[in-house]
Amino acid sequence: MMRKKMRRIVPFLALAALPAWGGTVYMTFNQHATRNLFQTRDAVADRISAFSLAIDQDFSALSLVAKAEYSAFQETSGLSSFAADIGLDYLVPSGRKSAFYFAAGGAGQFYQQIYGSFSSLGANLLGAFKTYLAPSSILKLQWQGQYAVYRDSLFDFLSHRTSLSIDKYFPSQTTLKADAEWGYKYFLHPFLPELMLEPAASTSMAALTGGGGMGGPGQSVADSGGSGAGWGGQRYQGGEGFIPRYSNSGGGVGIGHLSVSLLAAQGIGDVIGLSASAVRQWIVAGENPFLSVEEFYFVQNPSADSFSWEGDQLTGRISLNIPWDVTLKTGYTYADRTFPGVESMSLDGVPLGLVRSDRRHLLEARLQKDFRRLSVFVAYSYIDNTSTDPLFVWKSHFITGGFEWNLPAGRRKGGA
Amino acid sequence: MRSKIAVLAFAAALAAGAAAGQTSGPFYNVDKEVRVEAAVREVLLEPRYKGTAPFLVLRVEESGSGKAYNVEIAPSWFFGQDVHGGEKVRIVGSLVEAPGATPTIIARELRLRGETFQLRDKRGFPNWQGGPQRKRGIRRFGGF
Repeated sequence: MMRKKMRRIVPFLALAALPAWGGTVYMTFNQHATRNLFQTRDAVADRISAFSLAIDQDFSALSLVAKAEYSAFQETSGLSSFAADIGLDYLVPSGRKSAFYFAAGGAGQFYQQIYGSFSSLGANLLGAFKTYLAPSSILKLQWQGQYAVYRDSLFDFLSHRTSLSIDKYFPSQTTLKADAEWGYKYFLHPFLPELMLEPAASTSMAALTGGGGMGGPGQSVADSGGSGAGWGGQRYQGGEGFIPRYSNSGGGVGIGHLSVSLLAAQGIGDVIGLSASAVRQWIVAGENPFLSVEEFYFVQNPSADSFSWEGDQLTGRISLNIPWDVTLKTGYTYADRTFPGVESMSLDGVPLGLVRSDRRHLLEARLQKDFRRLSVFVAYSYIDNTSTDPLFVWKSHFITGGFEWNLPAGRRKGGA
Repeated sequence: MRSKIAVLAFAAALAAGAAAGQTSGPFYNVDKEVRVEAAVREVLLEPRYKGTAPFLVLRVEESGSGKAYNVEIAPSWFFGQDVHGGEKVRIVGSLVEAPGATPTIIARELRLRGETFQLRDKRGFPNWQGGPQRKRGIRRFGGF
């Protein structure tokens, strides 16, 4: 089934690359294996094959970037998706040590079956300024705005992030960097109308969802016009834990954060790179509009992202440059995150009176070998997640292997 | 007949597009390839070729000899990577010399902070890819 789909999509993607004459074409293939696709205590294993094709074409200071990707899930085929992404970049020098960078793009992601609710169309804008305060110190300012509409309109949003960073390199091969970010995400209409509830059951969502969750696989979101159902609810096999809120007030709701991060990096000779970083994030406005958030492996689940939490994150990394163009990177991350507005529930769906809070240990390693036009890699991750919500207490392994191949599609040689 | 003309016009337009991608300026000469270990003294954004975005150019000083070079990196690197003055680099690239001017190296490979970046292939074809927007995609867990 999966091979058949890949056979269909590869010629289409190859054809899409033909106009890239004079640019560069990038082809990647990644094979993923996970024991826990939905990242809950009820582990569901899957294998994912992802093929992508990207083109990059320069027209003076303007660049066109386009990418198409097809991801095939072997077991949970409803999560198989096609994604397309197109964007324009524009670089504007401001003197010899500063520049502005502008980018605009559009993206679409299309799922099938019960996960059709995640299908989306979006647009994004980016503006950035970078300047050298001194040869060894860089200041960067960036603003990014995003708008997305989903097939299930509960997830429609408008967001922006503004960030400022400054760094300094020292002759001891030490780099220090400080970052600050303010972000705000506004869900345009995240609530279900209360009239959909039976009066007797309106006091508790949890009582309603119980062990069976919201809706089932056969319930069409398109039919209900944005119901928040259709991909399951708490403990529903194959899409777990998502519970929307009910309100007749209408309108949207926003969640805003402020974060600061510090990074220290140290080079040891030409072979070893060490880095340590710490992030602290506060929710400064609003809270999550949904009663639950959930993350899936490899899938951008619209109920959870970097806007949905507050807390701390500590990361340590080692990078080794081994001979023959082989790079080994390993890292450890500890994250302590709380999700304001999200309630912890027992496995039977009874509210525990606690805001959901997770502690996560993440180990990562990646080995990459670079050839002239081909990079081959294998990566491994292990996560140990504990949570005040027992559904999200889990441990799992993730393995990925793949390659990226790039080739110039034109005859350019020399300067550019 | 009309369809043939349309096909020819389309082919001519494609060829013109391809020609527009070609640029003037020094070409990558594989016979003049050098390998230099140096320290970065200055980082600049300079127009280098007609019809392309400005390039990130490193003013470097060779370790030992103290000889100065301008190293031409890539147009997309100004936002794609943070290179600092004082950092040690190893460059493999094609040397372009002109009387009375600082020699320039068109970089094919750059080793920086223990990481090797392939900017061009061995024949000089560009290999670089984009600014912040081009690093999109789903980030799985950490930053790898």
